[in-house]
Amino acid sequence: MIAAASDIWAGIDIGGQLRLFSPEIALVATMLAIVTAPMLLGRGARTIGTVATLGVLAALVLVLRNFGVVAPEGQGVLTPEAGSGMLIADHLGTFFKLVLIVFLGGVTALWWMGSASTERDAPEFFILLLGSALGMALMVSTTNLLMMVIAIETASLPSYAIVGFNKRDAKGAEASLKYMVFGAISAATLIYGVSLLYGLTGGSLEIGDVARAWYAETSGANRLALGLGLIGLLVGIGFKISAVPLHFWCPDAFEGAKTEVTTWLSVASKAAGLLLLARVVHGFTVNLPITKADAGFLPYWSSVAPLAWGVGLMSIVTCTWANFAAYRQSNVKRMLAYSSIAHAGYMLMAGAVFLSPSAPDATAGMSALLTYIVIYMFMNLGAFGVVAMVGWRAGSEEMSAFTGLIRRAPLLAVPMIVCLVSLVGLPPFAGFIGKWWVLVALGRQGTLLSWVLITAAALNTLFSLYYYMRVVVQMTLRDDGRPALSIPVGGAALVNFCAVALCVLFVFVDPVKRASERYASGLFEPRPTVRVSTGDADAPALAERAP
Amino acid sequence: MLTIGLTHYLIVSAVLFCAGVFTMATKRNAIGILIGVELVLNSANVNLVAFDRYRAGLMDGQIAALFVIVLAAAEAALAVAICMNFYKNLVTVDVDQGDVLRG
Repeated sequence: MIAAASDIWAGIDIGGQLRLFSPEIALVATMLAIVTAPMLLGRGARTIGTVATLGVLAALVLVLRNFGVVAPEGQGVLTPEAGSGMLIADHLGTFFKLVLIVFLGGVTALWWMGSASTERDAPEFFILLLGSALGMALMVSTTNLLMMVIAIETASLPSYAIVGFNKRDAKGAEASLKYMVFGAISAATLIYGVSLLYGLTGGSLEIGDVARAWYAETSGANRLALGLGLIGLLVGIGFKISAVPLHFWCPDAFEGAKTEVTTWLSVASKAAGLLLLARVVHGFTVNLPITKADAGFLPYWSSVAPLAWGVGLMSIVTCTWANFAAYRQSNVKRMLAYSSIAHAGYMLMAGAVFLSPSAPDATAGMSALLTYIVIYMFMNLGAFGVVAMVGWRAGSEEMSAFTGLIRRAPLLAVPMIVCLVSLVGLPPFAGFIGKWWVLVALGRQGTLLSWVLITAAALNTLFSLYYYMRVVVQMTLRDDGRPALSIPVGGAALVNFCAVALCVLFVFVDPVKRASERYASGLFEPRPTVRVSTGDADAPALAERAP
Repeated sequence: MLTIGLTHYLIVSAVLFCAGVFTMATKRNAIGILIGVELVLNSANVNLVAFDRYRAGLMDGQIAALFVIVLAAAEAALAVAICMNFYKNLVTVDVDQGDVLRG
């Protein structure tokens, strides 16, 4: 038995493969260190915070070291056969992990500013936070349906607990119960969908095989069952993105949670869900039978259009519904929760572009999505950072707490205005650039669906102007003589850094744009033949695409 | 003589799935909803194992079923903890009573 096992691993560079997952391994090691630390160093919030910060920094160093490296055998790693692994290490995954870990650092910094002085359960907090980060990193590193399920659950279960982290807070308890109930229902639907897909592909859990089965299936009943399985998959991913109609948990969980946690979930969980959707959609795009010679001609309408329209309509409904719901909010944190749903909708629009038979169009959509995620991270970290500090110092996150903020705390009000204008998508801030590239990608594709999406995005930007500007007006034009706020220096530095980054990215967006194009371009290159499941033919080509 | 085939398993699974969805849709008690979730997860397990046995023949489906069982156990443990936390604060586990956050 031992000899057989070593035969399987012969010729595989285990060290090299593990290196590709060193950021995840660092996160796990940090979690273990935090479990052990209370026994050796005590449960003090500052001690545990230091251990966690060091772990995040180590993960950051490791992910930077991996930047530009792909798996030696090509796509699949941690498996003897390239191309059918449970995990993938490629450029898309590395790009996302870098953004994720930088953002994790930002959230940890926000924790140091606020909760570090009062936190009594720091070890539990950081284990849950790092655990959900691990799940999100894994979500983007797989094309295997079972691994997707495990990764989504790894990201979700700690999130439910961390939302209700303060045990004496009735709001938090309610938020985590609602989040958990919706999460459990959508996870059950996802797993049922996966079981159907498993059966109808004849026993494969690879998303590529699902796509091939979808294109090749001729029997109406089987196609219906495959469609149901895909809907289950979309429900599971849509829950993470909080796409309408799977968004009900989102405003409640975001309002009831601590603001650091809200910041974390609003960007990381959505970005991971969107890139997981990108993986699924990518499986469908690259396996599209392109020519008659390949695998029988399939007209656009019977193959990929239903999926593209499904994603496209979901994005329109998500944006529009969230923008209208945000109108009625008097709590700024809850308003920003709806705004994050609307932004998930804009990012989903880019997702509709990947479902395009043309590789340049798909690449443009993917790189627009990656650029948007980077910019969105700064906008949300800044806006929620200000809300967090107003919440700590004024004791409320209601609109009234922001009255006259420009006089009471100019170092908070100015970055807040920058972030809000950027969230609307107006120049001269980076939010405009993010939206612009999504619209350009849609315009280049030029189908009926993409013009519908462009119209919807433009109208929604107009709608959203009103509720963002209401906060700006409250901060600048109204003043009822409230006392000035004393703000932590580090916190002011963090939100001002985000605001400056948004201005700088408006002018110098090129490096981000170029990096996201480079990191997206390898994915959608046209394949000479329909891919076979062993994936040997095209695996070396992928390894050569190092930027 | 009746031979049990794939269809029989799929019918059992479909019945379990419908019962689970009905439970999730009608119960107002958080524990009741979770029981519905468990039924749906188990119908997925029956599907996975039956498809594995009759269609695929590799072990993928059965291993996936084992993973799903573990996930269900983890989720149940966390869910009950969250329900207890909710109960401590509001002295009920009726999801309709959680109406502080709305709008």
